[in-house]
Amino acid sequence: MITPKDRLINALNGESVDRPPCICPGGMMNMITAEIMHQLGNQWPEAHQNPQAMAGLALGVHRLSGIENLGVPFCMTVEAEAMGAKVNLGNMVTEPRVIDYPLSQMQDWSSLPDFNPETGRMGMVSAAVNILAENRFGLPVIANLTGPISLATSLIEPMTFFKAMGKQAQDVHAFLSFITNNLLVYGKALLKAGAQVITIADPSATGEILGPRRFSEFALPYLNLLLEGLKDDSEASMVHICGQLHSIFPELNQLKTGAISIDSATSVAKLKTALFDKIIVGNVSTQLLQNGQPLQIKASALNCLNKGATVLSPACGISTLTPLSNLKAMVDAVHEFNYQNSGERGND
Amino acid sequence: MIKNEEILSRLAAGVREMDEELAVKASHEALDNKMEAVTAINLGLVVGMNQAGELYEQEEYFVPELLLCSDAMYAGLNVLSPHVERIAGEDRYKVVIGVVEGDTHDIGKNLVKLMLEVANFDIYDLGRDVPPASFIRKAKEINADIICLSTLMSTTMDKMGEVIDLLSQEGLRERVIVMVGGGPISQAFADRIGADGYSENAIAAVKTAQRLMSEKKAAV
Repeated sequence: MITPKDRLINALNGESVDRPPCICPGGMMNMITAEIMHQLGNQWPEAHQNPQAMAGLALGVHRLSGIENLGVPFCMTVEAEAMGAKVNLGNMVTEPRVIDYPLSQMQDWSSLPDFNPETGRMGMVSAAVNILAENRFGLPVIANLTGPISLATSLIEPMTFFKAMGKQAQDVHAFLSFITNNLLVYGKALLKAGAQVITIADPSATGEILGPRRFSEFALPYLNLLLEGLKDDSEASMVHICGQLHSIFPELNQLKTGAISIDSATSVAKLKTALFDKIIVGNVSTQLLQNGQPLQIKASALNCLNKGATVLSPACGISTLTPLSNLKAMVDAVHEFNYQNSGERGND
Repeated sequence: MIKNEEILSRLAAGVREMDEELAVKASHEALDNKMEAVTAINLGLVVGMNQAGELYEQEEYFVPELLLCSDAMYAGLNVLSPHVERIAGEDRYKVVIGVVEGDTHDIGKNLVKLMLEVANFDIYDLGRDVPPASFIRKAKEINADIICLSTLMSTTMDKMGEVIDLLSQEGLRERVIVMVGGGPISQAFADRIGADGYSENAIAAVKTAQRLMSEKKAAV
């Protein structure tokens, strides 16, 4: 029997698999719900600062919903905090968020501290990965990184940052290099702790905000530096970008990863025709997951797979108010899809 | 002497081409030429900003370009504004705007704010991560015409419904127009939570705000 880990890694690397995996990576793409926290008696915000609790929640998601991966952390504030951003850890239903930027002017970036992956919440995430890597279920452990542009806009007011792309391009490049080098250090630490798959979530690097020219100049090179730098220590990677991506479809082909994860603003079918050899991870609507009925969700998940998603996942972080029954319905789809594929495909 | 039309087109070009220096220079030229500051603003700078908005809608421009255009516009406004004579009792609609609680992504909100300002709306920006009650408090305080709610995260969009429910509880729902927008928001979602308007982007938001206000005025 193929393990969930091998299935995911093969799928992300474009190799054939017996059926699609169903994952929730973690990080920006949170998979923890209030129902799961209640059942496990293990809650946010405390779990964001406790490796055992963090690992416990990740394992609980698998046990209760059947989601086929483990992943930490459950937000995208760990890196920003390590560079001096002020973070509100939220509460049981609200994710941690950056509430104060350490930088007010682009040219001051060199005053930011380097990451120390052994200390603070970075150390806790590493420790959680370490625990998860010992899992007896053959589950892949995903290390979640915040992408360079998204980390940059967690350290300085985004309007200032985007304007600096026009007025202080050199400073922006120096800042992004600094960020990328630090992310490499943190990513390597997480892989060393036992993670096998890297997910880089760079929601703010969307074509909708940057457009193709600035995506190529400011997002693509740093994402690729990160992907290349982590390649030897990981078994697979994926990049998640939010929003409407049609303006940067050609540029996505240049990402040095096997898999691209998208939210529901981008159509799987359209992206599929634009990509040469990358696989698509996605993109069950998180709104539907929260408010829909299990049957609708299964139908929508099957539709994602039929349209061309190779790995099934929610389109974005799921709401903590998502019912567990709906997560299970999404997982059901990958089992059913296999059945459909093996003969009774039905009418589509 | 330079003709006024030429100055106006230089003002517009300065903004549209993200050229702060040109916008400032043309603003001084307008004043030197005894052009009314209001004319220079409305038929020059604002025209340029609207052209930038069109380029944004056509996906020639993206967020960084739009922000650089707005910098050029404000550079021109800094020169011209001191020469504007305020008209008493001018009819400007009041808008309370903010990113809902739990979310700190405010790029979209800031773009909407910017374009509404250009369209002469009076903006009260509550910033990001704003609790539902704060929207209501501010709307009451300033007697707002419109509340604009923004979020990028699917995990926080339900806060928009909470704001609308709270407005109803306070008996203000009929008086205040509610507009929603942001990455995960759709017309269907807006309808579901009972919002009055939804817009896909900042340019469309201005049109929606103007349409909803004129509908409301017509109904009174």
